[in-house]
Parts: sequence; C-alpha cells; structure tokens
Amino acid sequence: MGVFADRYPDEAKVVRAALASSFLALLIGGAMGPLQTLHRIDYLRIMPSESYYTVLTLHGVALVILFTIFFLVGFYQWAVTDSLDRPAEDIRFTWLWYGLMSLGALMASLAILGGFTDATDISASVLFTFYAPLEAHWLFYVGLTTFIIGTWLAGADWFRSWWNWKKENKGEKTPLRTFMVLTTMLMWYLATIGVASAVLFFLLPWSLGIVDSVNPLLTRTLFWYFGHPVVYFWLLPVYMIWYVILPQIAGGRLFSDALARIVFVLFLVLSVPVGIHHQYLDPGIAEGFKFLSASNTMFLLLPSLLTAFTVVASIEHGARQRGGEGYFRWLTVLPWRNPAFTGMALAGLMFAAAGFSGMVNAGMNLNYLVHNTMWVPGHFHLTVGTAVALTIMAVTYWFLPRITGNPIFSMRLGLVQVLTWFVGMVLMSNAMHRVGVGGEPRRTADPFYDFEFEGVIGSIGELHLQIGLGALILTLSLVLFFIHLIFSWFGISSTTKITSEAAIRKPLSGKEHAPAVLENFRLWVAIAAVLIVLVYTIPIASIIVDGGLFGPDVAPVRPDHAPLFGLSGLSLSTEWLVAGAAGAVGAIAAIAGVLR
Amino acid sequence: MATEQPAADHTDDIQREIGHDEYNPVGTLALVFIYFVIVSMLWIFVYFVEFLGRISPMVVF
Repeated sequence: MGVFADRYPDEAKVVRAALASSFLALLIGGAMGPLQTLHRIDYLRIMPSESYYTVLTLHGVALVILFTIFFLVGFYQWAVTDSLDRPAEDIRFTWLWYGLMSLGALMASLAILGGFTDATDISASVLFTFYAPLEAHWLFYVGLTTFIIGTWLAGADWFRSWWNWKKENKGEKTPLRTFMVLTTMLMWYLATIGVASAVLFFLLPWSLGIVDSVNPLLTRTLFWYFGHPVVYFWLLPVYMIWYVILPQIAGGRLFSDALARIVFVLFLVLSVPVGIHHQYLDPGIAEGFKFLSASNTMFLLLPSLLTAFTVVASIEHGARQRGGEGYFRWLTVLPWRNPAFTGMALAGLMFAAAGFSGMVNAGMNLNYLVHNTMWVPGHFHLTVGTAVALTIMAVTYWFLPRITGNPIFSMRLGLVQVLTWFVGMVLMSNAMHRVGVGGEPRRTADPFYDFEFEGVIGSIGELHLQIGLGALILTLSLVLFFIHLIFSWFGISSTTKITSEAAIRKPLSGKEHAPAVLENFRLWVAIAAVLIVLVYTIPIASIIVDGGLFGPDVAPVRPDHAPLFGLSGLSLSTEWLVAGAAGAVGAIAAIAGVLR
Repeated sequence: MATEQPAADHTDDIQREIGHDEYNPVGTLALVFIYFVIVSMLWIFVYFVEFLGRISPMVVF
C-alpha cells in the first residue's frame, strides 16, 4: 500500500509538526545534560552554581514533558489514523490542539529561560517536580496548563474519530493501536486531575499573589498523584512501539493481541493510585497509606513483566520465521544491523535492569536507603532516558520514511548512534546508581559538602569519571542523531522516494480472541476511580486537616539567580550561538562526508 | 530523476510462516529464566547492602 505521507497528507503534516517540536525539545534539553553533569562532578564549571537549578529545570521539563509528550501526540495521531484507516474528523481541530500545546510549551520554556538573565524577573527554576515551596513565575504555570489542555483536546479528537468509526463498524472490536491510544488517554485524564488542581487552585493563585500561602505537602501530594502516572504516559507509546513495530521489524507477529490489551487496561487501572510511593519520606502521611501505595506499585510490575514475555516471544517468532533455531541461537538471525531493531532491543534490555532498580525504589524499607540520592536519577535515566528516549530515537529510523516519504540517510550511522547511546548510558546510569548507594545526594549543584563519600566497591572519584565519560558519549550520540535526522527528514543527498510500505502483520492470536469486557472502558475507569478514592481520600483529608487548605503560612522560595556565564545581558550569547551554529554545520558536513 | 522504493521492513527475510499452534517460545522461556536468576541474585546482594553493610534506620542494634 501507499506510504502514510501519501495516503493521509494532512495528518502526516501534523505528525511531522509534533515530531519536530519533540526533537527540538530533545535538542535543548539534551544540550543541558553535559553542562550539569560536568558541573556536578566538578570537572568543568562554566556556570555559577545558582544557574545549575535553571539548567536542571530546563533539562527536566524539556525532556520529560515536551520531548516525550510531543512525540506521543504525533505518534498517536499516526496510530489512530492508520489503524482506523480514516482521516482526522476535522483537521482544523487537530491543528488547534497542536497549536495550544506549542503555545504552552513556548510560555513554560520562556519562563525557565528567564532564569538565565537578570534583565527580567521572570524565572522558573523549580525543577520538573515543581511543587511548593519553590515558586515559579505565573507564565510557567499558565504555559504548562495550556500545554496539558492541548493534550486533553488531542485525546478528545481521537475519541471522536473512534466514536465515528464505531458507528460505521458496529459490532467490530477496536483495532489494537486505537485501543492502546484510548486507554492511555483515559489514564492521562485521571492522572492530570492532580496536577491541574495543584496548579489552578494553589500554585497559580499563589504566584499571582491572590493567595499568600499554600500547603506544601498538599501540592507535593497532588503533584505525585500526577507524577507517577506521567511516567506511564511516557512509556505507553513505547509499549505500543514494542508490541506493534518491533515484531514487524523482527519479521514476526505479535504473540497475543489480547495480552497486549490486558496490559494497557492494567496500566489504566493501576497507574494513578501509587503516587505516594514517591513520598515515603514525607512526614504527614500515615505509614499505612504508604504501604498501600507500595503494594499497588508491586502490582504494577505485572503488566511490565507480561510485556517482557509478550514482546520477547513476538521477536522470537520473527527469528524462527527467519530460520532461527535452538534456545539461544535464534538471537543471531535477528536484524541487528537495523538501528531501529537494535536500538529498541537495547532499550528493552536496559528497561529490564530498570525494573530491578524500580523494585528497590518501590519497596518501602529499601527506598529509605536510596531516597534523594543519585540512585533515583540513575533509575530514571534507564527508564525515560533509555527505554523511552532510545526507543523513540530508534523507531525514527523506521517511522520517518513513512511520514516524510524520504529514505533513511544511512543505516550504518544510525547503528553507531543507538550503540553509542547504549554504551554512554551503561556507564553513566550504572555509576549514578552506585554513587547513590554511597549516599551522594541528588538535586544539588555541590553534592560534596565536607563529607567523604565511600563507594561499596571502587572509589567515588572513579564513579564520577564514569558519569562524566558516559555523559560525553551520550552527547556524541545525540549529535549523531540530529545530523542523521536532518539528512533523512529533508532527503538531503538522496534522490530516492519511499512510495509504499508493508501493512502491519496480524497477531498470532488475533483480536477475535480478546474478551469483549476489555472494551468496556467505563468499567475500567470506574475501577481506577474506586482505587484512587481508596488510596487518596484519607491522606488528602488528613493533610488538609493538619496543615490547612492554604497551609501554615508558607512563604515562597524563589531561588537566587546568577546570569549564565557571568553575562548580565544576552548580547554576548548571540556570538556564542553564531559560533556554535557554524561549528555544528561544519561537523555535520564532515561526519556526513565520512559516513556516506 | 527520483527512484522509488518501499520502506524497509525485512519482509523478504522470512523463510517460513509459523502459525499460532506450531510456535513454542522456548527461547523466550530461556531468557526469562536468566532474568529471574539475575534478579534473585540481586535481591540476595541487596540483603547485604541493606542489613549487613551498614547500620540503617530500619535496623536498630
């Protein structure tokens, strides 16, 4: 059949726009990575320590909110349009939600960037976990709210397509990809209630001076109500990629359609009532409710372990169809030269390791050992930083020709890119976990104080070297990704056009075997709501009774700012930008020349 | 002059079609078993880190 970009040119335009926004955020957020890593380990300090928190906020918000969610909406638009085989209901509405998201992203980013200059009092150095008492400029909160409203409308757009499809296809089961999109969005609607109430009722009025004080524990709890399910909002599109696209590339078929649907339903039911596991060390929440969240979190391992089985079994099916034999020899016939396959397989491998460190985080007693240490950033650089980010980068090598009609620039360069990401993250994340076990704190520009940290095995200095080296390799990988992206996206130095694509192969056990009850979204949302009420009502009531709705007179904390690179204005930055751009163009041309 | 080609999907590499009933994912079983062994060993290691390696708030001597 024809390529997606030709079959649905209008929708492909929205998909491309969303992906462009996503990758721009990856570029900005990624560029902050080495800056803060090298500062923290005290190897290279080109900014004052006060700017560290602005850099860290930009790194966090750009990567885990903008990069991931812009990719999600672009990819899900493709999934709905392609799997229902119908155009968007009204493309102007589709552009409206993309426009709102972009406007919100721009406002939040400007508020964060304001922290780099003293020319304005706008700043938002509140980190990705933006709860009180850290206070941002109202522009930041309004920006995030606008962005999230955009995602709500995107969900409404996809539901509308589905309802209209249902009318024309009575009695038919929803195609798998659309089913995955709808369950993800239902989970997202439940999850964003927390952050929307935190921002609209407390943080925004507080930053505007309408209320003088907030209850920090309440805003923390509302943030984490959203802050854990948001990780599944990053992860579920990746699960869709692993379930639908990875078996396709491996030459196989999805093992079971029903199992994939059950996994998504389990995430809808269990993602939200677990947020308190981020607050094991918060006073003011009873231990019993922390334990309830801990046990719910352990239940959440189930859909991930089901995924590990189904995805590996689907890949193995591909290997067997390609002639693979034996218990392990089948692994050798997989398409390891394809960056899309290798990147995703390595991302999955790292996710298996992250599953272990996640179990440590979720366990109440073990969490006390690693809470607020570098272990936790080590963990989420495996999950969102590799399982999600590497899968997104890898799938681009498969996805891009379908939405642009241009071929991939160089599979070899792609392979180098995904491998360098894997190697860089193995070094950096492993060492972050280990300095965390040694007690080194997170979220600080100067983690050393006057204390000699000791590693269990090896020295802290050696681990810092691994972190720095890992960060540099990751930066190299990111540079390669962008060189490749630009050449592939615009079809530079290629006269070939991609005009057709193979249809996604049917699962081994198809949707006809999936129980009808899985389509009963009302039932699953109701169960999720009951669990949320059980887990959250009493803790939130007790937080309000103890501290008051607007808190025991908590004054805002606006971190001090020193301008980046000691510049008082932005005038010199232009020169830095021009020099940087010239260097980048030179590097792109040189590397492309060598690898082409 | 632009040439045309399909998007790469490795469909040509398939040598045989294996249906639902002929397929036994024994390789997956082997890999899952290895993961299980690794995770079990890590849990044993955690016992040393948590309880024997240091005086933690959870263990009062």
